[in-house]
Amino acid sequence: MKPAQLTRGAIGVLGALVLWQLVSSAHLAGDAFPSPVATLSALAADASGASFWSAVGETVGVALLGLLGSAAAGILAGIVIGSSPAVRYATLALLEFLKPIPPIVILPLLVLILGPTARMSWLLVFIGCLLPIITQTIAGVHDTDPVARDTARSYGMGRTEILFRVVLPSAMPFIGTAMRVAAPVALIVTVVAGLLGGGPGLGQGLYLAQSSGNYPSLYGQVLVLGILGLIFIGLARAGERRLLHWHPSYREAAV
Amino acid sequence: MRKTLYVLLGVGTPVVLLAAWFVASAGSTNTFFPPLSYILERFQELWLFAHFSSDILVSLLNLVIGFALAAVIGVGLGFVLAMLPKVGGYVDPVIHFFRSIPPVALVPIFVSLIGFGIEMRIASITLAAVFPTLIATVDGLRGVDSTLKDVSAVYRLSTGEKIIRVFLPAAGPHIASGLQVSLQTAFVVMIASEMLGPSQGIGAMTLLAQQSFMIADMWSGIILLGVIGFIANMLFELGRRRLLAWYIGSRRLARAQ
Amino acid sequence: MTNEAVAGKAAPSRLDVRSLAKSYGAGAKAKVIIEDLTFTVETGEVVCIVGPSGVGKTTLLKCLAGLQPASSGTAAIDGRVIDGPPPEMALVFQDYNRSLMPWLTVRKNLMLPLRHLRLPAAETRERCNDALAAVGLEHAEHQYPWQLSGGMQQRVAIARALAYRPEILVMDEPFASVDAQTRFDLEDLCLKIRKDFNMTVLVVTHDIDEAVYLSDRVVVLGSKPARVLTTIDVDLPSPRDQITTRSLPEFAALRTDVLSLIKRPA
Repeated sequence: MKPAQLTRGAIGVLGALVLWQLVSSAHLAGDAFPSPVATLSALAADASGASFWSAVGETVGVALLGLLGSAAAGILAGIVIGSSPAVRYATLALLEFLKPIPPIVILPLLVLILGPTARMSWLLVFIGCLLPIITQTIAGVHDTDPVARDTARSYGMGRTEILFRVVLPSAMPFIGTAMRVAAPVALIVTVVAGLLGGGPGLGQGLYLAQSSGNYPSLYGQVLVLGILGLIFIGLARAGERRLLHWHPSYREAAV
Repeated sequence: MRKTLYVLLGVGTPVVLLAAWFVASAGSTNTFFPPLSYILERFQELWLFAHFSSDILVSLLNLVIGFALAAVIGVGLGFVLAMLPKVGGYVDPVIHFFRSIPPVALVPIFVSLIGFGIEMRIASITLAAVFPTLIATVDGLRGVDSTLKDVSAVYRLSTGEKIIRVFLPAAGPHIASGLQVSLQTAFVVMIASEMLGPSQGIGAMTLLAQQSFMIADMWSGIILLGVIGFIANMLFELGRRRLLAWYIGSRRLARAQ
Repeated sequence: MTNEAVAGKAAPSRLDVRSLAKSYGAGAKAKVIIEDLTFTVETGEVVCIVGPSGVGKTTLLKCLAGLQPASSGTAAIDGRVIDGPPPEMALVFQDYNRSLMPWLTVRKNLMLPLRHLRLPAAETRERCNDALAAVGLEHAEHQYPWQLSGGMQQRVAIARALAYRPEILVMDEPFASVDAQTRFDLEDLCLKIRKDFNMTVLVVTHDIDEAVYLSDRVVVLGSKPARVLTTIDVDLPSPRDQITTRSLPEFAALRTDVLSLIKRPA
């Protein structure tokens, strides 16, 4: 990034903070719209306590473990489904129906069965990230060049060898894209589970701060979630780039 | 022969699964998994049409209004920012920060500002859903080929023609992907805004049923929300395919070569 | 020299480029693309500008089309200095696949620049029909550009320019990325439309044979930064023909002249 751009961005951020301060000092919404100074000092007070950091840890932990679980299960399921046309057609309608339905829909069911626990949050994240990873993996496996597959077979490679040397590498860009999209979703779903389902972490913190009228703390936690969101998006992008910089389709897409 | 088998599998599997659910749950005494027949009965009693105008219509209206506002604001603001690159440089980081905030986290803020009413829900949906469209519009416009800009200048198109007939269609595929994410965000925030606090709406009804252990009612709410999520996305996809037929066709051709 | 004789005439030339220079950046870091270009094009002429690749020919055309301001010097049409896209000029771009609107059919691509002219519907239709007929694409009018071959797409771009009915048609390496046979066809198309539509045509190319074949005059550019090496009159008989014209001894002599100018170390 050019220095001029950085300066402009910094001025923009500063301007937004000043605007926030001005609007909040007009007291249009009473206490419900705290100033940035109040928010940041509440955040500093929160950050000096252990419970804040354990909430951050729980949020990040649940999101990452959920993502990890759905990656493992989703890639495996995607390979199984994608390798057999019969299974692919059998699951097509089901997957297409379920894909656009967000995980928040089954939140009441999970809370009912598991209660407001970390397991409930984890399961919601797992389910929320699972379908996009499955469908993208299927697409990737399906996209494997049949010539490459035949060549491998004619060289006497076995099924597992073909899977690891031909099918998986060519499905990699699809899986990489799915993971990049899924990473921020994992964080979002963790917050949903905490805010609406009472799962531990910052989502629950938002609910408590809002219902107890501790608005500076509410805004502070939203700021922290924004920063976590930036980190998740940034790391997912960097990871995809690092993993796939060699791949021609990625180079093409990146231009 | 093989094709027919695949079509049969495609249509047959969901039917078989539904039938299996129906049969397996028929005599169920499990609290969490009541018989499907009973769930469907409650579905009919609740949604067709006792709570149609009091809850379904309210939810859908919030969704449609919030999404429409987000779409108009997102595309409009996106045009302004992309056409004024200097201004864009100032606000880019702030916009990306807002986009990174999990959208549902905005709901408690709006609750604290304007309470639990309809305005809160529409405001939450709009603000959360505006960013995907806004960012996609700016990206799409910044990516418009410089040759197309030169062509528009050489043939002396008016500013209005450039915007409506060149920039908008050229950025169309980007804008459409942004709108699709915005629609999904709007749907999630619609449900979240109804679940957070005592109010009307399908989300509120579903959560209330869960809290009062009316499990079949909860299931019927889940099914209704799932169907709405699916249909909303399908309608969007149909519109996208119609408007962007040129793009989908050219991409398919490019891949085939 | 020819260009001095022309510049000495009383009436202003159709297109008059005088001491045109273009550089990017300023001060010590400035990158000079064009240094002092002077040439003219008279009404009804076909003039080709040849020079090695990367010499800044596209930059020159952008200045002529009013897309970029010159750093110094002027370009003028009928004595009027160009400071924005001139209404009597159409430009055919090198990248046909990037210059056509992929969301419009061939006919709608042709119609897009005509909208703001507010012509009667019948005339718009007639202009499009004529232009499509001139390039032989009547059958493709309802197809999208991306469904056509490269040569056909470039014909669409030319047809779009023709429907606009410019007095001056400027083309930037118009046939650079099509196969040899299509290239010959498009060259003959270029000569035909010059005759049929009575246009002044300016073509930029790096292909010396093409320049000699098409031109009444060839402007030879030297590189880094671009400047006019010389201007050569081409007195080949008309009508020209891909086989007979190219096998004339005069043709060979002319192309040798141009080639030796370009090859000569600066």
